[in-house]
Amino acid sequence: MATSSRTLVITTGSGIGASVAERLRDRGDVVIEADPSLDLADAHAVSGALGSLVGSETVDRVVLAAIDPAAFRAAPITSLSEEEWDQAAEYPMRAAFVVLQQVHTVIADGGCVVLILPTVATTGVADLVPLCSAVEAIRVMAKAVARRWGARSITVNTIEVELAAFMLGDDVEGDAGGVGVPVVPVLGQPALPPGSAVDDVLGLLDMLAMPAAAAITGALLVADRGTVMQP
Amino acid sequence: MSGLQGLMEGRVVLVTGAGAGVGRGVSAAFGSAGAIVGIGVRRPEAAEETAADVAAAGGTPVILRCDVTDAGQSAAAIAQLVSDYGRLDAVVHNAVSGRSSEATDFENTTLEEWEDHASVTVRATWRLAVQAYPHLQKTQGAYLLMSSPAGIEGSERAPFYSAVKAAQRGFVRALAREWGPDHIRVNSVAPLAISPALENMKILEPERVKRIEGLVPLGRLGDPETDIGPPSVFLCSDEARYVTGQTLVVSGGRFTSL
Repeated sequence: MATSSRTLVITTGSGIGASVAERLRDRGDVVIEADPSLDLADAHAVSGALGSLVGSETVDRVVLAAIDPAAFRAAPITSLSEEEWDQAAEYPMRAAFVVLQQVHTVIADGGCVVLILPTVATTGVADLVPLCSAVEAIRVMAKAVARRWGARSITVNTIEVELAAFMLGDDVEGDAGGVGVPVVPVLGQPALPPGSAVDDVLGLLDMLAMPAAAAITGALLVADRGTVMQP
Repeated sequence: MSGLQGLMEGRVVLVTGAGAGVGRGVSAAFGSAGAIVGIGVRRPEAAEETAADVAAAGGTPVILRCDVTDAGQSAAAIAQLVSDYGRLDAVVHNAVSGRSSEATDFENTTLEEWEDHASVTVRATWRLAVQAYPHLQKTQGAYLLMSSPAGIEGSERAPFYSAVKAAQRGFVRALAREWGPDHIRVNSVAPLAISPALENMKILEPERVKRIEGLVPLGRLGDPETDIGPPSVFLCSDEARYVTGQTLVVSGGRFTSL
């Protein structure tokens, strides 16, 4: 289902964010995609880039997948240097803040912002402590922003997918840029048959853009085919 | 608090941000439980009242200079406790940014404000864990983070505080799995309690405090020592030996949907 809205997609150039951007474009949506090499934690650079990309018009929808799948590395916290901790945990949080702050200036009243994150923080995963910390921080930052921007009828929601789907997107046979997908212990079997996580996300993006979804904000939608059913 | 008596007898605990508010109350509760309490503070002179509370409750206070944004100070605080008392059984990371009670103008603020929050609540959470790990491994101890309901619900006026407190919840869940094989337990408490900022508000804006209290089914804000302290002690004690990866919301019922 193509929509006539202008969608700004901000990704790091791989994984589910890149796949979503490609599919939206393929089906005829107007997609404005930020340069994947943009330093998302650099407020000046992000402000300049979004300003020139979006121009004088606003966008109706923003899709944000700001955690770089290629930066994931499974390791015990005791083995990390300060720099590694920063890159894996704090950089994504800073990037989320900077991007959301700048999005505020380019999104139309009544628009919708959707963040895509991996499900890891819902249950916690050993050796992925930095990632779990970042994901939970970003998810709750989005909730706080949803409360702030509600007066402009802007909705802010989060979709979570399984880690492999987040890292690989449509490239299901890939190796996530040579990083490989960290092994996540099986904490549950999917209730539904296997399918495309990108399709699942596209369906939710369309749903969230509908007028009928105007009352949904600050929500977490888990598209993992029923693997982690929250208590 | 007689109910805590003996729960942490002879155990060694470091509490950060222990000079006031929840940190002071939790320190006193550990004192009631018989613990040797490392009172981690940025300015040792600000710890005298907490030390008196701990001693009066029956514990052993040890004042430690511990600005958690300074890796050397937190390492030295842990080293001193281990050197003087031979063990470390629990770390309670309660310190927060001095700006934690300020409203954040998300749309107009800068990364500098973010850094104030992140350095204390995110980076120090990781660093204290790394520094305490070999000692907690020996005692099969506990790491307890003082999170916040804001880190679950996402506060409109405090988006940075909410985010860093949420980071702690993600940290707790993941580290509980990582350290489970070492029998180190990792949990958090999300308290709603009287803080120094709320004490001031009681004087300056009593009606606002009444409104807040009106939202709490139990009709009052928590007392740091008698309401927040006991569950914190419990989570660090042997009585909670099978509890890990959890956030306990201690809010008088204010938050029931988290």
